[in-house]
Amino acid sequence: MQDAGLTNEEIEEKPKLNYLTNGSTLKSWLLTKDHKRIALMYLVSVSAFFFVGGLYAATIRLELLTPATDLLESGTYNKAFTQHGILMIFFFLIPSIPAILGNFLLPIMIGAKDLALPRINLLSLYFYWIGGALTIFALLQGGVDTGWTFYTPYSTTFSNTFVMAVGLGIFINGFSSILTGLNFIVTIHTMRAPGMTWFRLPLFVWANYATSLVMILGTPVVAITVLLLAIERFARVGIFDPAIGGDPILFQHLFWFYSHPAVYIMILPGMGVISELISNFSRKKIFGYEFIAFSSIAIAVFGFLVWGHHMFVSGQSIYAGLVFSFLTMVVAVPSAIKMFNWTATLYKGSIDFSTPMLYAIGFLGLFLIGGLTGLFLGSIGLTVHLTDTYFVVAHFHYVMVGGQVIAYLGGIHYWWPKMTGRMYSEFWGKISAMLVFIGFNLTFFPQFILGYQGMPRRYASYPEELQVLNIFSTAGASVLGVGLLMPVVYLAHSLIYGKKAGDNPWLLPGLEWRTASPPPTENFEKMPVVTWEAYEFGEENGLDVEEARRRDLATVR
Amino acid sequence: MAEHHEEHQHEHMNIPKYVGIFVILVAGTILTYVTAQWDLDGTLFAGANTLLALLIAFTKMTFVMLFFMHVYWSPKLIWLSAVASFFWLAIMFAYTMQDYLTRGSGVFTT
Amino acid sequence: MSAHASDKFVYHEPGLQHQFDDMKQQEESVSIGMWMFLVQEIMFFGGLFTAYLVFRSRYPLAFAEASNHLDAFWGGLNTLVLIVSSLTMALTVYYAQRGNRNMQVIMILLTMFFGTVFLGVKVIEYTDKYNSGLVPVTGWNKKIPETAGTEHAASKDPTFALPLIETRAEAASAADDHKKHPNPKGEFQWNYGTHVVDYGLSKEKETGKPYLTASERIGYFSNGVFDPDKYRDKIRMFYYIYFVMTGLHALHMIVGLGLMSWLLWTAWRGYYSAEYYAPVEMSGLYWHFVDIVWIFLFPLLYLLGRHFLAGH
Ligand code: HEM
Ligand SMILES: [Cu+2]
Repeated sequence: MQDAGLTNEEIEEKPKLNYLTNGSTLKSWLLTKDHKRIALMYLVSVSAFFFVGGLYAATIRLELLTPATDLLESGTYNKAFTQHGILMIFFFLIPSIPAILGNFLLPIMIGAKDLALPRINLLSLYFYWIGGALTIFALLQGGVDTGWTFYTPYSTTFSNTFVMAVGLGIFINGFSSILTGLNFIVTIHTMRAPGMTWFRLPLFVWANYATSLVMILGTPVVAITVLLLAIERFARVGIFDPAIGGDPILFQHLFWFYSHPAVYIMILPGMGVISELISNFSRKKIFGYEFIAFSSIAIAVFGFLVWGHHMFVSGQSIYAGLVFSFLTMVVAVPSAIKMFNWTATLYKGSIDFSTPMLYAIGFLGLFLIGGLTGLFLGSIGLTVHLTDTYFVVAHFHYVMVGGQVIAYLGGIHYWWPKMTGRMYSEFWGKISAMLVFIGFNLTFFPQFILGYQGMPRRYASYPEELQVLNIFSTAGASVLGVGLLMPVVYLAHSLIYGKKAGDNPWLLPGLEWRTASPPPTENFEKMPVVTWEAYEFGEENGLDVEEARRRDLATVR
Repeated sequence: MAEHHEEHQHEHMNIPKYVGIFVILVAGTILTYVTAQWDLDGTLFAGANTLLALLIAFTKMTFVMLFFMHVYWSPKLIWLSAVASFFWLAIMFAYTMQDYLTRGSGVFTT
Repeated sequence: MSAHASDKFVYHEPGLQHQFDDMKQQEESVSIGMWMFLVQEIMFFGGLFTAYLVFRSRYPLAFAEASNHLDAFWGGLNTLVLIVSSLTMALTVYYAQRGNRNMQVIMILLTMFFGTVFLGVKVIEYTDKYNSGLVPVTGWNKKIPETAGTEHAASKDPTFALPLIETRAEAASAADDHKKHPNPKGEFQWNYGTHVVDYGLSKEKETGKPYLTASERIGYFSNGVFDPDKYRDKIRMFYYIYFVMTGLHALHMIVGLGLMSWLLWTAWRGYYSAEYYAPVEMSGLYWHFVDIVWIFLFPLLYLLGRHFLAGH
């Protein structure tokens, strides 16, 4: 407990074997069972998919610079937004925080040597790679144009693109996410260090637990749905085909049974990161720990009851629409609980505006807008006007990019010193955080207005009077793009030239800060016994800030 | 930390008990076959045949899970996951059917 | 820890992996992991059951009619076969817990035997569907050329061309020569009459109350006239669901057999002891799960229209 500052010296003197230096052959990476190495491989692969998805986004925004269909033909445009969606959702956003940060930190945070099932963990990475490779292969062959939602009967009967191959890729990738979820649940149940009770778990762990529930209960349903779609396409007969009395709306039911909960796979881990950041960078015990923890579980459970809000105008019964609309209002409550608790935590905290905290504060504002516009869309009357317009596009980008991506970036910065043992440049970090925030708002806020004015989504052309706002949006996208590319540069730079980070560069009480940076292969020199509550700041915890700062100055120049 | 269930399952089941469960399962299979021949739909109410068949299937499943799969002596978490998965299935069935059963008619005529 | 064949493994805690403190933690983890896997399996099949539920409630009569052409004898036999295999699987675990290698191996072999019998019966059933033109995929049925000795017009099926409410005798006689109907491309066929719908319609006449569901009225009729093509589509949907459900179930059986082969090998080599038998137990959970799926598939697919056959 007392080594918070001490180990700074040790690092300078005798470099110990850590998880990065413990084996350097290709085999030692590809066959590793170390969750930290697997997490790093996820980081690299997921970033690659993020980059490709980003290229599609850039193409889309460029096409929409002008009202006419000029840069891309309509058919190509359809492929561009479809592939953008598929890569971003299935191959970036869903694995982003759980498979990278969760994988890396969850065992450390609970004081375990590894995840409970390390081989399963590696298997999940392989599934991710196989699914991803298949998808990329299909994209190179010519891609898909069905939209990421694969609505039938277009996807089964009419589309002449590579639906089956991509479907199979998503099917396989689904098992990657199921196995990750399974592993997390087992690990949290059985691998906690002595003294690490449920209510001492960091909230990031709770959030990942809730996410894992959704992964296990939801993902298999989309797997079977996509499988049915592929069979139907292959066999040229099936239950989604209205021509023989089948029902395309059943596809939507099954698809959204997963995909609405999946949006919580895409936000819950982000909320977990934000809980960490807000509490730690306010140097204050989080307000309402239990409320935040249980609201994660509540989101995971209630998230399964609202999927019909994606089907208001698609032919489901009006009664069902009413029920789903009501439940949609209810599911916003746990998210709101979190917002209130975060804000209350900030109150009278000693806030440190480092890069991760900038992201966290950005999250609060952006997720607020994203969540509230979700309520607009959930009101059964208003949605008839707004559905399938850019309002929806703006809504989900506010929650997915403004929420999860921002939280992800915050988390990456926050734990970067732990993962690599190096500090990134705080100056460039702040610049890029601001660029992301400004660029994001400039890109997506105009889309609320565009949508409200009636610009439909998924078209390559639009009426001339909407051009001004579209230009704003494209301009914002380029700012956002620069903001997102910058971390690649300065984070990579820090790997070699970055200041060596001590074990506890932020002076925080969490377990992950009580082991070396980067951690040794089995995470701790001596397995920890937990005697403190989560987010407990105070001198008795070895965390007298002033004292530690002095020590810090003396040791690390 | 997490609670362990101390004893192994050795003491709980023996061969006669396993065979007993087996006999129950066979009896259930025969029962479901025989009752399917009766026109319960016509004599009782529509869906009675299916209801009975499902009841029997559920009973059979319960025996398999409790005794063959040792859920009966398992920690609470195992019970919970068994029950929860059926609860989630029920959510999927109920909320999908709430749409289909109210299409076009009912309180709100379209 | 007594004089079992596997004694030599005991002293270094066989199979304890580095991330765990002790055997108990490992066993608990593996067992929770397996259950989580089963939960996801339940949801996986759950999607199919939802599809079944939706279409069964829409077209109950067509589903009953189609189900009557599945062979409940084979289905029932397979149910029994699986139950026996579940018993032998449970006994495998039982003997593993007692470190009895020989009985363990025998029980695994028996389990594999019954599993194979199950798949064999499935092959018989699928072949029958192939021969009767009941595979929903065009081209995957036995082809009967146009000229195969039939005087019926190729396009219209005489069974259906009859005025709707035919007598059972008429339907039966029409069904007699069903095999002769050509399906040159291996199309899906339905030449087995409309008894169940007939029954429903006669019931409606008798009681004056609706018997068919609203979707059935749309789904089987064109402009108020019974449309055999539309009706056949509904039957075909039943067979589609049947093949997907039983096919995925059979796939799980095959995976199970693979698991069993591995178990056989390891048990033979004496990997398991009274102290360490978690892999046997986990494979058992999987096997029982696959059995449970069949416990539901049997009544839902094979038995739903039986009373229409037995009754009137
Ligand atoms: C406060 C909670 C939320 C509410 C009430 C809500 C509500 C809605 C509604 C009603 C729609 C349907 C719009 C339409 O098509 O007419 C929608 C779409 C969408 N939402 Fe949310 N949402 C919430 C949070 C989230 C979160 C956290 C995410 C993801 C991280 C998300 C991602 C999406 C996506 C991707 C779509 C569009 C799906 C498509 O392609 O059609 N939402 N949301
Ligand atoms: Cu939703």
